[in-house]
Amino acid sequence: MSAAPPTIGGLERLKRRAFHKPLDGLVTLFVAALLAWLAWQAIDWGLLRAVWRAEDAALCREANAGACWSIIDARHRLILFGLYPFDEHWRSTSAAVAIIATVILSCIPWFWTARRLISLWIAGFATYYLLMEGSPLGLEQVTTDKWGGLSLVLFLFSSVVLLGMPMGLGLALMRRSRLPMLRWVASLLIDFIRSLPLLTTLFTAAVVVPILLPDWLQGDKIWRIIIAFSLFFACYQAEVFRGGFQAIPNGQYEAGKALGLGKWQSLGLIILPQVFRHALPATINMVVVTFKETAVVIIIGLFDLLASAQAAFGTGDWVAYYMETYIFVALIYWAFITSLGRYGEFLKDRMKQDDH
Amino acid sequence: MTMKRGWIAAAVAAASLSGIGTSAVAESATLKTVQERGTLLCSGHNGSYFGFVEVNDKNEWKGLDIDLCRALTVAILGDPDKNQIVPLSWAQRFPALQSGDVDVVIKATGWTMGRDTELGLQFSIPYFFGGAQLMVRKELGISSASELGGGTVCVAAGTTIERIVADHLKAENVEHTMVSFEKTAEVIGAYKAGRCDAYAAWGPSIAVLLANQFEDADSHVILEDKLSAEPIAAAMRQGDEDWVDIVNWMLAALIKAEELGVTSSNVDEMTANPPNPTVARLLGVDAGMGERLGLRDTWAREMITAMGNFAEIYDRNLGEGSPYKLERGLNNLWSNGGVLYTPILD
Amino acid sequence: MLSWRDFRRMTAQEIAVQIGLVLLVLLVVFGAIRSAQVNLAALGITSGFSFLDRSTGWSYSFSLLERSIDDPYARTLLIGFLNTIFVGLISIVLATILGFVIGTMRDSKNLGLQVISSIYVQIFRNIPLILQVVFLYALLIHFPGPRQAHSVADAIFMSNRGIMVPNLSLPLNFVAGLVLGSVLLGIGAVRYAGSAKRALAIWLAGSVALIVAAVLLLTPDGQALVSYPELKGLRFEGGLTLSVEVVAMIVGIVLYGAAYIGEVVRGGLAEVPKGLREAGESLGLGSFAVWWTIRMPMALRSIIPPLGNQWIFIMKATTVGVAIGFSDLFYIVSTSITQSGQTLELIAILMGAFLLVNFALAQAVNWLNARLALKGYGA
Repeated sequence: MSAAPPTIGGLERLKRRAFHKPLDGLVTLFVAALLAWLAWQAIDWGLLRAVWRAEDAALCREANAGACWSIIDARHRLILFGLYPFDEHWRSTSAAVAIIATVILSCIPWFWTARRLISLWIAGFATYYLLMEGSPLGLEQVTTDKWGGLSLVLFLFSSVVLLGMPMGLGLALMRRSRLPMLRWVASLLIDFIRSLPLLTTLFTAAVVVPILLPDWLQGDKIWRIIIAFSLFFACYQAEVFRGGFQAIPNGQYEAGKALGLGKWQSLGLIILPQVFRHALPATINMVVVTFKETAVVIIIGLFDLLASAQAAFGTGDWVAYYMETYIFVALIYWAFITSLGRYGEFLKDRMKQDDH
Repeated sequence: MTMKRGWIAAAVAAASLSGIGTSAVAESATLKTVQERGTLLCSGHNGSYFGFVEVNDKNEWKGLDIDLCRALTVAILGDPDKNQIVPLSWAQRFPALQSGDVDVVIKATGWTMGRDTELGLQFSIPYFFGGAQLMVRKELGISSASELGGGTVCVAAGTTIERIVADHLKAENVEHTMVSFEKTAEVIGAYKAGRCDAYAAWGPSIAVLLANQFEDADSHVILEDKLSAEPIAAAMRQGDEDWVDIVNWMLAALIKAEELGVTSSNVDEMTANPPNPTVARLLGVDAGMGERLGLRDTWAREMITAMGNFAEIYDRNLGEGSPYKLERGLNNLWSNGGVLYTPILD
Repeated sequence: MLSWRDFRRMTAQEIAVQIGLVLLVLLVVFGAIRSAQVNLAALGITSGFSFLDRSTGWSYSFSLLERSIDDPYARTLLIGFLNTIFVGLISIVLATILGFVIGTMRDSKNLGLQVISSIYVQIFRNIPLILQVVFLYALLIHFPGPRQAHSVADAIFMSNRGIMVPNLSLPLNFVAGLVLGSVLLGIGAVRYAGSAKRALAIWLAGSVALIVAAVLLLTPDGQALVSYPELKGLRFEGGLTLSVEVVAMIVGIVLYGAAYIGEVVRGGLAEVPKGLREAGESLGLGSFAVWWTIRMPMALRSIIPPLGNQWIFIMKATTVGVAIGFSDLFYIVSTSITQSGQTLELIAILMGAFLLVNFALAQAVNWLNARLALKGYGA
């Protein structure tokens, strides 16, 4: 994506890649002109002619005004925190930071042992929950129906990954089991969930499951949705783990036996660490996809980032500035997803090098 | 939900059939659940439905329907804040009620036969009246729904409006396209952008929108046709008659208080010196108001102290005290030219 | 399948675990049925599929067939299902074409093409689909109204109602017949023509011939062969109208899906050994010929399985239509639930439909895969 690297002969390389033949040169020049024009349009509208502060909102209506970022200035709290009580927003902010820190920390190789990774995620998740809910810490209690915006997205994302990972491993082990019943039940479940759109699964959890459950098994709608979402994650992740298992030569199982380890011991000490390693790139891919897919919860009535964005331009004075709001939200998603995805690619390359 | 409720309902039904169910103390399963939980679960909206269920600048719920929920919360739990407003789209309000995600739906909900029978719901006494209407741009030069031929109508999915408009336009033989959305904000956004020629909604809510959500309110017009006359009521699950009683008398007490001139500012005075026996009963000076519903005797007094009577709630959310300045019209007491009246408090 | 020998090899503990699991599954299933019965009885809802014959009383934005508010639920659900299939199939075809273009550009030696295609992938792959669709829809409905519509040569119009294009003056069921005929011809061509190129040629020529013949023979008397959209009153009449909801759905899904398919194609091309390309070049083949006759046929083998997954994904992605009021199956089911209260039955229909679609698509991909794998090299 970047231009030719500035090594010796860089210019020569650039020339060869961009202007190999006359037609190539023409195409390159055309693309360059197109990109320059697009970039200029974006900068002109989004920066040069833009109105920035909430107080200046009146300027947005002038004929030559560009982007009206005033709406973001005025309503970013609604977009980021949803219906969370206004005076407690610091809690929502710190909780979101806790989750982001957890994700960043788990990218560091030092954490890549099962114990460290699990403790890190549980700690991060607990910090988030305690801060948001508040009552165990002696803060004002805020119930889950008021959680919203970016914090809610992060909450859904982290709880789905946290719950779905062990569920996925369990399903993968069941599907590989020698025992036919275990195998069948797991395959049936995995194939069934994977055939349905995520939205159908979540909608079922929100609307249908309560009819099928007795009183004492219900609980908040948000938890039903999280469990259904985790199940969805687990069914895909189980297939990722299965790929990891397939990459392990049979000799490894025999090695465990030769060392006198029991079935579970050799699984835990020898096999699983290798499975995780092989499955890592695909797992990160799943995590990225999960983050992206959380956006559909708006349809089952949760007040997520997209919903709060629509609420932000939903009232009288701001209706015209839907584009600015959507761009703001798209940038948030894009930053998260791109950085996670980039990291996954980096890891894949590194592992490829290790293998040689 | 729920086996428990099912059993209790069955037991209650059996008891009343055999003639034992004459005891004065009510036994509502929903009431018990709410009291044990310590919170009442009410219906919110996915966004703002202005005047009725809306989110203010501080991210708090407000509106006429929210205030009624808060009044109900005071009546049951003694504190207007002990409730959770669960955000729901129009289409989700009944599934959410059936599944127990909310205890009651107070959300501009019309009383229809289908809902009463097929959906397994029960309705309270109506507390608001209004009909489906259409709004169009003035520039179209249309003055009646019958001129909409070939036009597009935007409407919220899963509402009575959806069916009423379809019925009406069919009866008038008006060929049209209907575009429906899950969220009110999307419907309004689509109309404002010009995706549709007409915005179909409940009359009072169109008036509220025009009052302060349209910068160019002058270039829109609400068509004269009243497509329906809809009684708005609270919706509850079937099988818990005593819960319906509580909601009914919560609404009745608010309207009664207006009729009797009891307001949040004079309620203490009235309690000390009830001018007539009805006020004494209403405010729990004479015993009986609470026990018969399974509540405290003072529930109505506390409710009026916290929320005011129906007129105060109306003014705060839709009338003079609100940005919308909506006339009360039909939604006034029968004695003031409206159609609101209450059952007798004896 | 399971035989006695398998059972005899298991320990008592293993058999107990399995019996326990089966009992647990049965318990969950019967518990759910029991609870549902109790709950529905308490609410006074009759279960069963008899509601399918009742008329709905409401309308919706898009349908391929004639619709009315008197339609029974069964027909309304069928229309929703057809809408899902319609948008899904069109999106699959277009996303695949665009994806191959993007993937090839990503793989090209030309710097300009590489840069622009990777910017494309970075943008469209890394933003949630539903956000893209909602955004696109918001942009489209802010187009000018029908009376001020943008027009191309007074034949194609774009307004906030959608895109209006000239259409054949054929009744709807003839058009459906034409599409079906073309699909059948395509299947036959792929089956019996020796090569992909010949199959493509037969299909294209055959379809065009079919359409021309149908237009000449079947157009109702007294009508022009082609009808053009014309502004009348509040809307356009004549021609074919693709409503903004459909346009937003298809464009949104195609842009998103193509970014993914582009990556799949690039991956497939990258796996083709470099030596083959060089061999082709040394034979004096041009870069297009190398791509078309050597690299693409090789790459297809590794492209098809992940491509199949993308197709299935696209089919499922049509459910986001509910966010912009597009009447896909999910939308119809969700509205039906509120209006009729038959939650369990409707969800079962929704799930059954998607299982069916998925199964059919998976079969098609398997068949394609088997066909390609059979021919010699590698696999």
